[in-house]
Amino acid sequence: MASAATVSHADSKPSLAVTYEGDDIALLERILPLIDTIEISPDAIARSDGKRASLRAEVLEEYQAVQPGVNFVAHGVGLSIGSFDHWDEGYLRLLDELFARFDLQWHSEHLAYTVVAGENVGTMFPLPRTDEALDLVCERVRLLQERYRVPFLLEHVIHLLPDSPAQYTPAAFLNAITSRTGCGLLLDAYNLECDAMNQGLDVPAFLDELDLEPVRELHLAGGVQHKGFHLDIHSSVTSELGLALGLEIIRRAPGLRAVTFEFLKEAIPLLGHDAICAELSRIRQAMQC
Amino acid sequence: MLTLEAQQRGLLDLVKKRGASPEDPYLRQVEGSAQLAIVREIALWWRVFALEAQCRFTSRLLKRLGLFQETVAFYFDNNLTSPFVEELSVDFLDLLRGHPNPLLRAVSQSERALLQCRAGSGDTVEILWDRHPDRVFQALETGSELPPAEAGGIYRLRIDRDLPGMVACTRETVLR
Repeated sequence: MASAATVSHADSKPSLAVTYEGDDIALLERILPLIDTIEISPDAIARSDGKRASLRAEVLEEYQAVQPGVNFVAHGVGLSIGSFDHWDEGYLRLLDELFARFDLQWHSEHLAYTVVAGENVGTMFPLPRTDEALDLVCERVRLLQERYRVPFLLEHVIHLLPDSPAQYTPAAFLNAITSRTGCGLLLDAYNLECDAMNQGLDVPAFLDELDLEPVRELHLAGGVQHKGFHLDIHSSVTSELGLALGLEIIRRAPGLRAVTFEFLKEAIPLLGHDAICAELSRIRQAMQC
Repeated sequence: MLTLEAQQRGLLDLVKKRGASPEDPYLRQVEGSAQLAIVREIALWWRVFALEAQCRFTSRLLKRLGLFQETVAFYFDNNLTSPFVEELSVDFLDLLRGHPNPLLRAVSQSERALLQCRAGSGDTVEILWDRHPDRVFQALETGSELPPAEAGGIYRLRIDRDLPGMVACTRETVLR
């Protein structure tokens, strides 16, 4: 099993990563000197011919062109690891393609589901924190660890709907998964901010309870407020509060390997290249303090 | 406490506005929450965003007709909605194949054929229009007034990847 522990580099500083989904060479050229790692979402760079999806060759060539010198990690959206019946095999085929082409340091997915009985729910829902969900996820994590011999990380997602009856606290549920499977965690400071604002999550208590040893990656992002709710639509830079929370996680997570600034491709025209580069420099500077 | 399957199926029905009101207390709580409306709004927003980008002319015509939001919502509620924009757009345009508005039918099916053609389809598709297709596309592009239907003739728009520009249009006179 490729456990999170096998890649722990407690003495090294985390690298700076960014999401990049292709089709913007000017942006890529500007961000390359600022980052160490690119986070690739296989779903976001895939195209379907109506029967089967595959990774877009032109985007893969963009990634190929920046090697060596940049590390790659994968971050999925569409695996639907928590669907009661089955996950999305199509996503795994995309991941296979990506693994065949690049040396990925690790891959990650959301602790959530997007598909129910073969039907897309149109959004991403968190799993209920129950023994049944725990057993299902742990078995699927085991299968992923067998299939890809690099670490696998799970990311907690925001809870927008009222929380469902649970047998675990949010931190205890994550602790149970990591201790049972040896998988790593991807903490998202903005998602924690959202849960604090929308659901009243006590973030300091969450972090105190969470085993931070398996945390390998941290996401930083900014989002939007809509009708009084904070949404995980990554369309702006990290708030001061989010950055401060991120820095606290950096200080407390000994195995952290990467800090990733996440933004939607659709938000690039709104953000602009200058702001993206400035944000990467801001995060790098904050990480070095 | 609900099983995973019951909870997931229940939430799917709530998001897609299907089925009777749930009996389970948690699902009832979700049903009455402000957050459910937001979740649904976000799900629709993503589909709107994708369809506006991929089905430019049909989206614009639907907006002019005041039907865009309700058509996307109907589509979302009653279909699987692929996460891939190529499948989503073709599937959405398929939905409009039998629409009672002839102009919407012509625009949506022409756009569908063009998308398929650009994706590599070797099929030849012919669509009949009751007004000049170029003038309609231009009006939708520029926001100007749509041309009226023309009495006494039809336009036959042929879409085929081997044609120059992939399209050819001929006017045929209707004998009365």
